[in-house]
Amino acid sequence: MQVPFTKTTLANGLQVIVHEDHRVPLVAVSLWYHVGSKNEQPGLTGLAHLFEHLMFEGSEHQPDGYFGPLQEAGAALNGSTSTDRTNYWELVPREAWRLALWMEADRMGWLLPALSQARLDTQRGVVLNERRQSYENRPYGLAQFALMAAMFPPAHPYHWPTIGEPADLEAATLDDVTAFFRRYYHPGNASLAVVGDVATDAVLREVEHLFGAIPAGPHVARVQPPGADGSSARLVLEDRVELPRLYLGWRTPGLFAPGDAELDLVGDLVANGRTSRLYKRLIHDRRIAAELAAGQTSRELGGTFQIIASAAPGHTLDELEQAIHEELARFAEEGPSDEEVNRGRVQAEAAFVFRVQSLGGFGGKADQLNAYNVHRQAPDSFDADLGRYLGATRETLRDAAARWLVPSRAAVLGVVPLGRADGALPDARVLDRAS
Amino acid sequence: MTVARFERPMPGQATPVRFPAITRAALPNGLALWTIGHTTVPAFTATLLLPRGTVDDPPDRPGLASLTGDLVDEGAGSRDALQLAEAFAQMGTQIEVEVGPDACSISVTALVRFLGPALHLMADVVMRPRLQAPDFARVRELRLTRLRQLSRSASTIADRAYISAVFDTHAYGHGALGQTSALEAVTLDETREFWRRAFGPRGATLSIVGDVTASDVSRTAAHIFAEWTGSGDDLEPAAAPRVRSDPRILLVDKPGAAQSELRIGHLGPPRDTPAYHALVVLNAVLGGQFTSRINRRLREDKGVTYGARTSFDFRRLAGTLSCETSVQGNATASSAADILEEFGTIGREPVPDEELSRARASLTRGYVRNFETAGQVARAAGQLAIYGLGDDVFDDFVPTVEAMTAAEVHAAAATHVRPAEATIVVVGDAATCRESLEKLDRPVVLYTPEF
Repeated sequence: MQVPFTKTTLANGLQVIVHEDHRVPLVAVSLWYHVGSKNEQPGLTGLAHLFEHLMFEGSEHQPDGYFGPLQEAGAALNGSTSTDRTNYWELVPREAWRLALWMEADRMGWLLPALSQARLDTQRGVVLNERRQSYENRPYGLAQFALMAAMFPPAHPYHWPTIGEPADLEAATLDDVTAFFRRYYHPGNASLAVVGDVATDAVLREVEHLFGAIPAGPHVARVQPPGADGSSARLVLEDRVELPRLYLGWRTPGLFAPGDAELDLVGDLVANGRTSRLYKRLIHDRRIAAELAAGQTSRELGGTFQIIASAAPGHTLDELEQAIHEELARFAEEGPSDEEVNRGRVQAEAAFVFRVQSLGGFGGKADQLNAYNVHRQAPDSFDADLGRYLGATRETLRDAAARWLVPSRAAVLGVVPLGRADGALPDARVLDRAS
Repeated sequence: MTVARFERPMPGQATPVRFPAITRAALPNGLALWTIGHTTVPAFTATLLLPRGTVDDPPDRPGLASLTGDLVDEGAGSRDALQLAEAFAQMGTQIEVEVGPDACSISVTALVRFLGPALHLMADVVMRPRLQAPDFARVRELRLTRLRQLSRSASTIADRAYISAVFDTHAYGHGALGQTSALEAVTLDETREFWRRAFGPRGATLSIVGDVTASDVSRTAAHIFAEWTGSGDDLEPAAAPRVRSDPRILLVDKPGAAQSELRIGHLGPPRDTPAYHALVVLNAVLGGQFTSRINRRLREDKGVTYGARTSFDFRRLAGTLSCETSVQGNATASSAADILEEFGTIGREPVPDEELSRARASLTRGYVRNFETAGQVARAAGQLAIYGLGDDVFDDFVPTVEAMTAAEVHAAAATHVRPAEATIVVVGDAATCRESLEKLDRPVVLYTPEF
């Protein structure tokens, strides 16, 4: 899969990738800052994400917000924060690519003069409402927080949620936010991709003009997480839900580490979609589960593999847990069939092709070039990445499951209707909903 | 140089949109065949659209259309449910069956080398579904469970309460899943009968968008779908819903809820309304975008929500105007009042020129983004088929919106935004918000939507 590109690094450290694609009159701009909740400290969680909100509020030469001029230019724009990185993107009609770059440059170089206590307070309120809407007010919405907290020890940055603890968000000061910006939001900690109907030379000239004068920032050292192994906690959480749901979580290899792609494939073969083994067993044949999902989440400081299943009415989490472990054990013993391996390969090939249909947005070509650049220092890793999937065999898939998805290493969480915690999951500790 | 550095670049002119040419053919059985070249990646999207949807559910069987759609890919032709899923998966894809208010769409996106085999399987699904008792029992059970799960989702509760208030007893007034009572009563024979009457070539459109040529598509599809018989138009057309005023506050009590889900609005015009473009512009000013009035007010000025938006849901026979948001509990009544006030203002005062031109610009300059991928082009082509629009509708959008005047937008607002008739749905903690809602001077009714 060929995605020809030009990469250069400015004197201040900004890495710039340009890829020309003239098939549609659009340009995607994507800017990654290599900062996420992994760079936070306990007591000051949620800062990376809160900061993402502030980045849209204004900068010295664009003081009244980022949506106005960009929407007026026909842009779609957004940003997101994960444990590992924060990204900002614009997808604009061909004529507006300079505007998108200008906006990104201004908030990289000149954000702080426009940052005020009032803006911080408003966005703090917005983020607290985002937390309520997306997690607290949704059935099972707090399960991922509980599971991650159980899988990673308190000193590990994946222990806390990216959106942050409400008390930390309430306590964050303007000084905290300013210090966070100075430390992480600078050219040396960023990767810029410009993709689409543009001329490479013109883009590189404009980038130098707009970003070249922004001073280099302090070196950002790689986060060193504590080495403690995964916990095998057994927990139950009560929630306003109808059906009990089981979460099994394992700590697994991180992004691009050996075993990562294999576990991604194992997730599909074992528990994703109607062709998966657990769908057939739990939903189609025995009808003891009503919902099922699984997957490897690949992250910089280590991965997680989860299997999630809701018990059909009249069935228990215990039944689900046993059946899942039995099916995993069979997979780890026998490995997949040739048909399953072929299915995994062709699904990976199709997914890679579909992903590069879009120039920008979340997951489009610009985002992907930045991901490969930040995590592999090689923007054109499409074939190398796909090769991990095409190279998987019955043996490597079997071995990945056998090595990583061991029952005794699983963190187990049951989410059950209010008042139904007792006996829902053998040997489990009941969590306080408020915690 | 320093001065130029800090001067914001101009955004440029709107890019003209030229929707790709549609090569049309028709099979003798009535199936329309559309081919649209789109060559960004070696893939295609094939979509079979049937002009039948939840609007065709019998009054005592809400959910029948969607249940039938869910069943057709649970075994078809020579394959049972799991074999069929496996056959698609061996091509790196799956079949998507989606039953909406006005249409049923059966689609596959796959690599071009699988065009023939994918269409063969798709033909099995629409022409030769097995519709067997064990699959029926399993699918119905899963849907009953799904309804139970959804009955705990505040946003779904709000959506259900809202459409059933706005559309009343009309078939648009229920969601695709229907209701538990109807699902428990429905029989396998009823789904077979619905399939027989709704799934036929006449009135159906097969569109194929991607790295394909019309001649290849015609040859392949004509062969595969030639033997499709059945009328497919053996259902009475539904009548349009009537406009009525229902300015109640429907309060669904969720003790301890972290927020209040809000839906505010009323019945709106159908897709073929002459006011379509004026309403699109109006919506961009009122609540369709991040910078729109309502989001600015509730999120950026007050910080009481993660976001608020308005939309016109244009359907074939009618639609809705709705504002939807989720706000912190102590801001429930004040947010509802703010939204109603914005509804009132836009109907009373013409949109100032500068605000209007910003809204027009975002719509016209951004329009080209809607046609980037094969999936987007396929969805656009689907609009032509469902609503019977002319091929020039996409090309005309930019010039029509550019010419839109404040007077036209004002006239559309005065007719189609009626705060006094708007229904308000609140899903939240009554102990927190009821007292202040009572002060809005509208009847507050405790309400429980049926699931």
